[in-house]
Amino acid sequence: MALEINIDGNSSSVELLSRDGNQHQVAIDGKLYKVDLVMVEKGVYSIIYKNKSYNVELIQGREPKTYTINTLYNSYDIDIMDAEAKYLKGRKQDELDDDSSISSPMPGKVVKILVKIGDKVKAGDTVIIISAMKMESEYKVKSDRVIKDILVKEGDTIDGHQSLIIIE
Amino acid sequence: MIKKVLVANRGEIALRVMRTCREMGILSVAVYSDADRNSMHVRYADQAFHIGPSPSNESYLVIDKIIEAAKKSKADAIHPGYGFLSENAEFSDRCKKEGIIFIGPSSFSISNMGDKITARRTITKAGVPVVPGTTDPLTSDEDALKVVKEIGLPVMIKASAGGGGKGMRLVKTKEEIVPSLRAAKSEALAAFGDDTVYVEKYIESPHHIEFQILADQHGNVIHLFERECSVQRRHQKVIEETPSPLMNPKIREEMGKHAVDVARAAKYEGAGTIEFIVDDNLNYYFLEMNTRLQVEHPITERVVGIDLVREQINIANGKTLRYKQEELSQNGHAIECRIYAEDPDNNFLPSPGLIQHITEPLGFGVRHDGYVYEGYEIPIYYDPLISKLIVWGKTRLEAIERMKRALFAYKITGVKTSIKFLEKIMNTPDFVNGNYNTHFIEENKNFLEEIEKCQDDCKAMAIIAAFIDYNNRISQAQQSIQSDKNSSDWKMCNRKNSMTRL
Repeated sequence: MALEINIDGNSSSVELLSRDGNQHQVAIDGKLYKVDLVMVEKGVYSIIYKNKSYNVELIQGREPKTYTINTLYNSYDIDIMDAEAKYLKGRKQDELDDDSSISSPMPGKVVKILVKIGDKVKAGDTVIIISAMKMESEYKVKSDRVIKDILVKEGDTIDGHQSLIIIE
Repeated sequence: MIKKVLVANRGEIALRVMRTCREMGILSVAVYSDADRNSMHVRYADQAFHIGPSPSNESYLVIDKIIEAAKKSKADAIHPGYGFLSENAEFSDRCKKEGIIFIGPSSFSISNMGDKITARRTITKAGVPVVPGTTDPLTSDEDALKVVKEIGLPVMIKASAGGGGKGMRLVKTKEEIVPSLRAAKSEALAAFGDDTVYVEKYIESPHHIEFQILADQHGNVIHLFERECSVQRRHQKVIEETPSPLMNPKIREEMGKHAVDVARAAKYEGAGTIEFIVDDNLNYYFLEMNTRLQVEHPITERVVGIDLVREQINIANGKTLRYKQEELSQNGHAIECRIYAEDPDNNFLPSPGLIQHITEPLGFGVRHDGYVYEGYEIPIYYDPLISKLIVWGKTRLEAIERMKRALFAYKITGVKTSIKFLEKIMNTPDFVNGNYNTHFIEENKNFLEEIEKCQDDCKAMAIIAAFIDYNNRISQAQQSIQSDKNSSDWKMCNRKNSMTRL
């Protein structure tokens, strides 16, 4: 059965044609790849394709069907779009648009919150400062917004990608 | 004689110090914050003491807590590593008062060299060149013109209260002097509430070169040659090497002598570093003295063949230096790369997190000073330095080739690291040719940011790996559901019990 895979925003159709031990035949958008693939360490695959040796690292994303994948020099973001993922994505888009909350890409600590609920902020205004590893980063709004909710307080330890401030 | 050392630090440097202690038959004591319970230095040490919450100002920076741990453990000495309390005069003093040996300089040396103006005065007295300029404030336009004429263009006008580039003006022509002075003053007033400015010679294409020194308690001082530290990003060193490709034997000897003079003038004891700023024509000026072990000390150890921590401990024991200046030489070439948990594709944002997998490079001529392991979570509270990769080669070129090989083999999964950025630097023509200064990263920005082109196959391999991994997980999940249906733990337990008649 073919599966839709998003790589850096582009979609490909991928299908497993056959599998015999480590030998896999996979079609990507109709193109056939015969590869020898084996998981050599947790999260690391060794692939031999046309006698070339590739080491591919898989890092599971924060959502179950997302991966960050590293080859020697390149890094890719991949989403597996199975039926459930497609459904969730569709529903999510109805609920929230992209910029409805402020979050930090990495874990850290809230140093300062510069706004209150109900504040009107202008594009480029800093709303929150997060510190991680002795470095402080300022998070700004991209356009004129109103602060709807603040989910953290100063001194809180936060996770990466956690919603900190809801804006509208 | 020191029998037990408390290491008032964490991360790779704590481990590095403890390794030498172990070689010398000295017991080591670790201190740790909440976040560091499962850190490697705690596992490596002979004893470990909890010193408080994760933020460093509630643990590693609290003098009372460190002293308390030292007393409880009956450690006779404290090694401060770098950062944290290593250059804290009060801490050095306190150790002395408590009868604990501080493996580092006296509080007098630390405060003397820590204050920029005092240091400048001490150094000038010792006959060591400092960057031409004046620390007296400029009072009038005439005054400014006169001073600039004496120093010679180009100059930098700097705010006395300054920092972060504010209130700073580069002046290249005579016409710019007065307008720049006024601009710098008003900017300084706005930023710091103080319009005091002074002037300093501007060094175009500056190199950052430092000298390692060792001084014992009996007035003997030696230097262990230079380290070239010009590859910097936001004033943070990224790569260091020794010998410096810029250096020649005559200047090396001269600078080495001056470094020794600085240490003597500061009445220094222990291991220290004298930093110089050097221009393309090898004019050099004293910048500052670091009164501690430096992050980049291993390249000196590799090329000179001396364990600096061992010497620090010997000096602290009151021993005479084991080496004379004329016995020392530089053998081959060493390079260090600093591996940070940061994302080079995303403006070097820090990237703390869980190490899912790590493969450390090995092989001839490679040293790896690190502290993380598979399953370790890099905390958000401290410096993002993961490890230091140090290579040695007979020649500079051999060392570069070896570094490329070592970086290729270095794999860390789970957090983003600077490894591929470092690989890029190793391939940058200006670096390979040894033709670089502190503007290197800025000047080679385009080359460094360009992403290595991979054949289409790379992308296909990424897709295939994700696809197969996903398939495998689905079938595993299905299998476990299957087996769940067929058995129940309660049933199994009951059967087992009836068999053994419990």
